[in-house]
Amino acid sequence: MSLIATGTTNLIEVRLRPDFADAAGQAALAQLQHAGFPAARSVRMSTVYEICGTLNQSHLQQAARELLSDGVTHEFKVLNTPPVLDGMNHWRVEVWLKPTVTDPTGESVRRAIAELGLPEPERVRCGTAYRILGKTTRNVLERVVRRTFANPVIHTFTVTEAYD
Amino acid sequence: MMSSKPVLRGKRPKVLVLRAPGTNCDMETALAFKVVGGEPELVSISDFRAAKVRLMEFSIVAIPGGFSYGDDVAAGKILANQVKLYMKEIRNFVRLGRPVIGICNGFQALVKAGLLPFSGAAEQTASFTANDSGRFEARWVHLRLNTQSMCLWTQGLPEMIELPVAHGEGKLVLKSPRHLEELKKNKSIALQYVSDDGKLLGYPHNPNGSVFNIAGLTNPEGNCLGLMPHPERFTVRHHHPNWTRQTFMKEGIGLEMFRNAVKYCQS
Amino acid sequence: MTERRPAAAPNGKRATTAPVVPAARGQAPADEGLRFTTLPPKELKELNAKLGWSLNDVELEAIRAHFKKAGREPSRGEVETIAQTWSEHCKHKTFNGPVRYSDGKKSRVFRSLFAETIVKATKELSSPWCLSVFKDNAGIVQFGKGGRWALAVKVETHNHPCAVEPYGGAETGIGGVIRDVLGAGLGAKPVLNTDTFCLARPDYSGELPEGALHPVRTLRGVVAGVRDYGNRMGIPTAGGGLWFDDDYRLNPLVFCGTVGILPTWAVRKEVKPGDLIVAVGGPTGRDGLHGATFSSTTMDGETDRAAVQIGHPLNEKRVLDALMVARDRRLYRGVTDCGAGGFSSAIGELARDCGARVELEKAPLKCSDLEPWEIWLSEAQERMVLAVPPKSYPELERLFHAEGTGCSVLGEFTKTGRLVVTHKGARVADLDMGFLHDGMPRVERRAVWTEGSKPKRGPCGARGGPAVRGRLGSILTRMLAHLNVCSREWVIRQYDHEVQAGTVIKPLQGQRHDGPGDACVIWPVAATGDWEDRSGFAVGHGLNPSYGRVDPYWMALCCADEALRNLLCAGADISKASFLDNFCWASPEVPEQLGGLVRAALGCHDAAKGYGIPFISGKDSLYNQSRDEKGRELAIPGTLLITAVAPVPDITHSLTMDFKGPGNSLFLVGVTKDETGGSLLSQMEGCSGEVPKPDPKAAARSFKAVAEAISKKLVLSAHDLSDGGLGVALSEMAFSGEFGASIELDQILTSPAMLSDETILFSESPSRILLEVSPKDDLAVMRALKGVPARRIGSTTANPLIKVSGLDGSVVLETLLVELKAAWQKTLPELLK
Repeated sequence: MSLIATGTTNLIEVRLRPDFADAAGQAALAQLQHAGFPAARSVRMSTVYEICGTLNQSHLQQAARELLSDGVTHEFKVLNTPPVLDGMNHWRVEVWLKPTVTDPTGESVRRAIAELGLPEPERVRCGTAYRILGKTTRNVLERVVRRTFANPVIHTFTVTEAYD
Repeated sequence: MMSSKPVLRGKRPKVLVLRAPGTNCDMETALAFKVVGGEPELVSISDFRAAKVRLMEFSIVAIPGGFSYGDDVAAGKILANQVKLYMKEIRNFVRLGRPVIGICNGFQALVKAGLLPFSGAAEQTASFTANDSGRFEARWVHLRLNTQSMCLWTQGLPEMIELPVAHGEGKLVLKSPRHLEELKKNKSIALQYVSDDGKLLGYPHNPNGSVFNIAGLTNPEGNCLGLMPHPERFTVRHHHPNWTRQTFMKEGIGLEMFRNAVKYCQS
Repeated sequence: MTERRPAAAPNGKRATTAPVVPAARGQAPADEGLRFTTLPPKELKELNAKLGWSLNDVELEAIRAHFKKAGREPSRGEVETIAQTWSEHCKHKTFNGPVRYSDGKKSRVFRSLFAETIVKATKELSSPWCLSVFKDNAGIVQFGKGGRWALAVKVETHNHPCAVEPYGGAETGIGGVIRDVLGAGLGAKPVLNTDTFCLARPDYSGELPEGALHPVRTLRGVVAGVRDYGNRMGIPTAGGGLWFDDDYRLNPLVFCGTVGILPTWAVRKEVKPGDLIVAVGGPTGRDGLHGATFSSTTMDGETDRAAVQIGHPLNEKRVLDALMVARDRRLYRGVTDCGAGGFSSAIGELARDCGARVELEKAPLKCSDLEPWEIWLSEAQERMVLAVPPKSYPELERLFHAEGTGCSVLGEFTKTGRLVVTHKGARVADLDMGFLHDGMPRVERRAVWTEGSKPKRGPCGARGGPAVRGRLGSILTRMLAHLNVCSREWVIRQYDHEVQAGTVIKPLQGQRHDGPGDACVIWPVAATGDWEDRSGFAVGHGLNPSYGRVDPYWMALCCADEALRNLLCAGADISKASFLDNFCWASPEVPEQLGGLVRAALGCHDAAKGYGIPFISGKDSLYNQSRDEKGRELAIPGTLLITAVAPVPDITHSLTMDFKGPGNSLFLVGVTKDETGGSLLSQMEGCSGEVPKPDPKAAARSFKAVAEAISKKLVLSAHDLSDGGLGVALSEMAFSGEFGASIELDQILTSPAMLSDETILFSESPSRILLEVSPKDDLAVMRALKGVPARRIGSTTANPLIKVSGLDGSVVLETLLVELKAAWQKTLPELLK
């Protein structure tokens, strides 16, 4: 057991409600189709915040509600369960800045959470999740992602076959 | 007490131009107020946090454009939270009928702080999402003013005007269709994007895909205006992209909005 | 920070008086130290490669000799400091160094290429509007009326980072050039950004080596980077250009420029011993170590990629806002930015003439596990260093903290002539300023120029007859659709080009705000606050690597000529213009490459002298070559960007390029020659010809006459003839203004007298300008243009088409404006859907 109190890490995912058009997702779809995944049918994007600190569940809910999401356009969840794995041509790609790369958004969010009167997180990182529908293979998708959304020089990314 | 007066009148009304890290249209907005006889002062939101300023000593409040807090999370969101936290009196300021304007990022902040379109309720009923084009875009647009509106900022302006927009997250959306009916009923829709012959058309006339081509909203009382286009970027005729083609325009029409508010506080 | 400056004289006083390094004065070294002075040369070279210093053999020996004399080993921090200070990026050793040049007939030895070409011309011109040239982080010239204001202008390149990470590379490139302007004099407020990219075609379909990004991704990335950083900084991006050539596929070029405004009292900076060394801005992390030495190596698979970061515009905006207030309260005496080399070069530069003592443990850090030398060399973005009188510090700190950004004292400036850096009392570096800045051995490089053998192609425009006639319209349409001509609207609209409410002549012009402007005009009223003062300035560019493939000398003259014509067409006063040079070249260690570079530098000299316009600032980026998919070295075409800036005394007199009405006269100024070498026509039709050759003295006379006509308000619109010649310029003016034109080729002044229709329409002869004039002013314009080659060649029409009558009097081209405009507009959107 460590003597130094360190916080836990939680994820908050924020996305547009299904009834709002996702213009950024549309643009991402066009890029995927162009880069070697012509069968891609839709892309919806979410922002994922990795928050490391002493915030409890109610703090996280408050941060998500009052800061990270928009009451009109967004839905959010504080993630602690892995996405449902059932494939059916649904894919989830998460792109994160490498830990050695400065994350300006994470920095702003860290300060802004403290401004809400919540415990200031030790660290916040901000990533992007692409929820993709389209028949392909993991290898192809990984290659296409490297050509479009993720540059190994500054990013890490994961590809999961997942519906959520 | 002077500060409780509904409208704070003076020969050179004091204008609070709000700054936050990332605000970037503050200088030209302040200059526009100065040119029409106001006395602008750049005040940082951190001055409110430190309780160094008194909002009620000002006649007019302007929240200029920019990328407050880098527009991290969402455009104007963190600034809206800061306004709710440190400028609680702004609600009273609006209720008293004092002029307030939010331009571009300032409009986004006013909406996300729940000050527009219905200044009475704290609930947020509108918001903004990414432009339909998926890109930041800077272009001049044609706008139609709602001549029925009570908006003091647009009084006496021609029905059709032109102003530039420059934003990536300017698509106005509403919580439910019911809210659009309310906006119409309350004459809250101050400005709409139109084609050059005044029709409600799609892109590029409506540069972002806003519902009902809404470009600007006012509260029903007409003293608080939020708009995506930038009136401070059309204060001389040489700002217009076609000024070298036309010789009839005397002055930038955007300046009239600032003049309206200053005059309102002078009379 | 990385401005190219003339080096001290090679045998100057400072270089020969480098004192011996004293033995460490009781301080233990902060790192293990290096076994350096006794290492065999082979192992020393291996160490150099392993630690990524990019020092050459002569330099390694010089450092060895220096420390041998001192009787001690250098610390790692010391060698790192020297390596980065002596890097190509910071010292521009090729440009500043000796070159032995031969062109087959003559040979010439330059003791310093830069001093004997570009600097020489500026010195000889001694233009009164230059306030600070080749000294500070940017060139500084007078601005406006009454001598109250000055402009600081800088153009940088950020090529290597953009090759590996276009978005982050473009962001940090913009961030860097903005800080250059913030660190010019006592700091200038940025009022304009410009961006020019040279890339492979977005539809490139050939092979690429492992790890190389496809050009379309590079294009998207750099545009997004400029957009996200520039827009967030609140600086209008209203000028620049795009050039496509597949030989940029491994080494894309990204030029970022910034113009700032400052009061003239703030032009001079100084540092006094006893002043505090204050770091402001973001914290220091392990970002971008070895950025300076990184840019001195050719790119290949083993490139050190730690150099790449993404930008943090909000932090830079906080620094900008606090710095401008601190400047006007006069809270500091000196300022410079942290660019390549981080603190080591910023503090090393500021302390150059006095000395400094630095305690690195006082620097705020992003992570706690940094080695002391890493703190010293880190290239974390968004940081600047100030020289602050101790009594002003408390107020300065309050100001920066209120803006939410860092401010901390790292040490003080001294009068010891030494750079002493410690970490918790242990020595990181203790170097003599003389050795550090002037101790670099100078290596003579060999440069060879051989005139390229004429390509085996038929001459352009030689064909005649009805078959060619029918083709002119199709050539014109394809030219307008060509990547190097087509509309840049897809890019420009993503930039906020009107923030600060001063962009009175915009990059997109005409009836529907979508025509291609020559230059933007900025009225910096938000920065000056002076509503009555209608002073502005214009910025234009010249770039054409295609001419450089024929001869870089003529490329340089053509670039200068085009940049000036761009300014002239916007209504600027080019008699008080200034130039900036940006060279991007392949390895200078290849004599043929360096030969081309020398040609271009000679061209810059002759352009400056011929047009009477000084260079005020410049940069060079060398080693732009990489191994291609087959392992061969692929070099970029030698590239020169000339940026020109000039005052617009009254912005209400400025001009746009779109036709203003029907029935107006069209005057063509300049002589049309058989100059199709490197032209768009030659690229499209596979033919060849003479490269365009400006005559600067004659051109300057023409420009003066045109300026006079403009100042008398006799000109309705003006446009320069460049890529695609008369055909393209005429079309652009017509479809932007939505009026047609009818011209007669036999009215055009040509030399020799007999040229084909095709040559007249598409030759790229320099120094030509097309003017639209109201018929009532025809005589007045002819009077203004007296003694200058100019002819009335036709008129504008209400009929929306371009109609060209050939030399035999028959109509050789007749095309609808909508067709021409559609071709011009569709290219980029289709490729970037």
